[in-house]
Amino acid sequence: MPELVWTPRNGGHWMATTGRLISHIFADYKRFSSRVLFVPKENGEHHQLPPSTIDPPTHRPYRALITNGLSPRGVAAIEDRIRTMAASLIEDLRPNGRCNFTTDYAEQLPVRIFMNMVDLPMEDAPKIKYWVDQTTRPDGTMNYADAIAALVSYMAPWTEARRGGLGTDLITGIVNGKVGDRALTPKEAAELCAQVLVGGVDTVVNMLSFIMLHFATHPESARELVETPELIGIAVEELLRRFPIISDGREIAGDMEFEGVAMKAGEMIVLPTVLHGLDENENPDPLTVSFHRSTANHSTFGNGAHKCPGAHLARVEIRITLEEWFKRIPVFSVDPAAQITFSCGVVGCVDRLPLIWDPATTSDAA
Amino acid sequence: MAKIIFKQPDGESVDIDARNGFTLMEVAVNNGVVGIDGECGGGCSCATCHVYIDANFIDAIDPPTEYETDLLECIVGYTERSRLSCQVKVSDALDGILLTIPSDQGLA
Ligand code: FES
Repeated sequence: MPELVWTPRNGGHWMATTGRLISHIFADYKRFSSRVLFVPKENGEHHQLPPSTIDPPTHRPYRALITNGLSPRGVAAIEDRIRTMAASLIEDLRPNGRCNFTTDYAEQLPVRIFMNMVDLPMEDAPKIKYWVDQTTRPDGTMNYADAIAALVSYMAPWTEARRGGLGTDLITGIVNGKVGDRALTPKEAAELCAQVLVGGVDTVVNMLSFIMLHFATHPESARELVETPELIGIAVEELLRRFPIISDGREIAGDMEFEGVAMKAGEMIVLPTVLHGLDENENPDPLTVSFHRSTANHSTFGNGAHKCPGAHLARVEIRITLEEWFKRIPVFSVDPAAQITFSCGVVGCVDRLPLIWDPATTSDAA
Repeated sequence: MAKIIFKQPDGESVDIDARNGFTLMEVAVNNGVVGIDGECGGGCSCATCHVYIDANFIDAIDPPTEYETDLLECIVGYTERSRLSCQVKVSDALDGILLTIPSDQGLA
């Protein structure tokens, strides 16, 4: 396959197909702008949420506002809470011998943790998730611009109410931050917070489902982690490499020749992150999940100025999930009556993941 | 794979066998190295992942981009051997590198 291809689909756009180009283009903000991130471009134009859609150097102070609290230090402070929540969700499911992993766990843990971090009411999570899904995998029930508008107008009263507040949640941190020496406008604050919601409720959720589908269909891989839990940290990175879920893109900033190809200002290029982890020049035998590789080459969290600020939180949530799950439910498989289907979009997902196990093989890990 | 040696601000050295593809900041954070906070998650915006590179390895690493240099020049304790560890990826060429972590991180 050529390293760059053009497709007439989704409004017409380029695609980079190798790890080398995908990671390079993510970071090359001068030639590849973040002004528009999604195809089709007419939809992507409506997704104007800072800091994701601002280019450096303007980007830097906005970015700094959202990363507080998502930092390794911030995440370490809530790690015990994440573990308790994970353990109790799994403990509730364990005696049943079955669950729909997507709705019973994957949509529960990251979203609850996240709603806690932003200090928003848990009962609002489903509607936030619905709006976010309309931007990442639209089902046609709401148009793209309206979904973004709904998120921003939902956030606006919350952000303004926390201006001047002393809370330790992410929203209070954002709205009381400064860009240079000025305060954020209400519009900027609501948009930044809306972007945080988009990042928080539809990413780890889907990643966890792909990961558990892998273990449910590869019992030897699960057994390795049950027997050698010290490998879980390495496993997290390997699973991130093997199952990237995001395909966003960049807008060509100006007419240019790039890698021998003529690109025009305003054209879009999509960077499917899955094609980096699965590039055999970057990771030999890329389809195999192995916890003994010497490489962890991937762009699962992007690259450059916009690299995912939630990466550390994601790693911790995945690690704790594997630790707590394997302790309690070491042997499980996909319900043979279930049909596993996937949906694609800016963020890919497993639609449903019915799992079964014999409760007699489980343990309460007490 | 490369062996990376972090010299922490408390004087203690930590050796880590790191796999290619990780950034040096990720290696430090994932292994609990003291002194590298990596607050912005590697977005080259927080300057809390500053390290001094071993002089022998300066040529083994791609020089900083203009975007990194702009931030580097504003940090506490900047020298010619300063790098933001989130902007450097592990490769075989780094095997044995010593990274000295300053006791103060962040913007001057
Ligand atoms: S982690 Fe923020 S600049 Fe390196």
